[in-house]
Amino acid sequence: MPEIEIKLKVNGRAVRWHVPPGETLLETLHAHHLKGTKLICGTGDCCGCGVILDGRSINSCCMLAAQADGADVLTIEGLARDGKLHPIQEAFAEEGAAQCGFCTPGFIMRTYAFLQEHPHPTEEDVRAALAGNICRCTGYVKPVAAVLRAAEAMRS
Amino acid sequence: MLKIGAYFSPATLDEAVTLLAQEGRTVIAGGTDLLVNPRYMVGVREVVDIRKLGLDYIREENGWLYIGAGATMRTVARHPTIQRLANGILARGAAVCGSPNIRNMATLAGNVASALPSADTLPALLALDAQAVLLGIYGERVVPFDSFFVGPGKSVRERELIRELRIPLAYFHTIQGGFYKIGRTAEDISIVNAAATILIQDDIITTARLVMGAVAPIPLRTALAEEALIGQPPTEETFQRAAELVRDEVRPISDQRASADYRRRMSGVAAIRALRQAAGLAPHGEEWHHA
Repeated sequence: MPEIEIKLKVNGRAVRWHVPPGETLLETLHAHHLKGTKLICGTGDCCGCGVILDGRSINSCCMLAAQADGADVLTIEGLARDGKLHPIQEAFAEEGAAQCGFCTPGFIMRTYAFLQEHPHPTEEDVRAALAGNICRCTGYVKPVAAVLRAAEAMRS
Repeated sequence: MLKIGAYFSPATLDEAVTLLAQEGRTVIAGGTDLLVNPRYMVGVREVVDIRKLGLDYIREENGWLYIGAGATMRTVARHPTIQRLANGILARGAAVCGSPNIRNMATLAGNVASALPSADTLPALLALDAQAVLLGIYGERVVPFDSFFVGPGKSVRERELIRELRIPLAYFHTIQGGFYKIGRTAEDISIVNAAATILIQDDIITTARLVMGAVAPIPLRTALAEEALIGQPPTEETFQRAAELVRDEVRPISDQRASADYRRRMSGVAAIRALRQAAGLAPHGEEWHHA
């Protein structure tokens, strides 16, 4: 199968990858040792594979890697700087907003895109923003608290 | 990994339609249906991406609203004209389609191409008398939504791409609309939905479109109910009578989301609530409901 060359930016680094035409962006990230983004449902229903594509949160399981040619992609690995966690990651840790933790990268990336647009969210805004992120340990109270905490931290 | 042998990203519409003329190829845009629902990949070996064709516009011109095939649910839901047109029924349909992550990728035209009877935006498009502009190697044709859908996942579209959707704005300032979705959660697909548009002149309904989703093989215009609305005052009594006809007209199935009987009953509820909104009679808080 002929591979396709794509050029994109991943976590600030320009990369040139060769991808099979049927490979999803999620599979390509995994193939390049970026395994923090999780495959959960694989059908676009849980937002567990969320990454930021050109500033918007998207599900990397239902997009072809070939479609990401020319894009700027941010994954969970790209949030921490100089060994210091991003304020959203800090807030999730401090609030204990993870149980098994598998859905957490998706929650955090969705939160990242959401807070860029809404630096002053209400609890209701946060709940609507996270409506697509599914946690099967069923813990939504603490993620909501973590997002509000992160919003406050990022404002100050 | 999907069984896709080749990916094309044409730079012009001509190139795109030429590529699509060959058997075994299909259009990809947002990909959120195509890549996760095997029904759309049957017989498909190669995909043609239309995202680099400059089709992500929404513009008004000569009394029409044009929505390009690349416009995402997010942009449709936030567009100021679409938010005002008939009480924003199309914007609201787009705003409840999937999750924020899905709405950032999924396109309105993709919802049309998927042609599912339970789609969130199709009743609003039918209620707004929209048209689809299809482009193939033999040229362009304009198909009104009233004759676009054929069955679940099936439309009159052949080896063509949807270039854009068009909505007439002639009644922009006078038409009133309502949209009501019954789904299990905010991001679930509709169990039943309804979109209505009515024109009220001298306290009489003079035109009416009432479209039901997820209760028939295609998004269903309820001809008998529409007829019963026209010439009547916009009152609860009129709407109750229309809802009764809606329950007779729908042809629902039972599936994992709801039984046919439940859908039939709820179709009357959804129809009445959409009509109440259109007439400005909806009680506060009735705009949205999770079953």
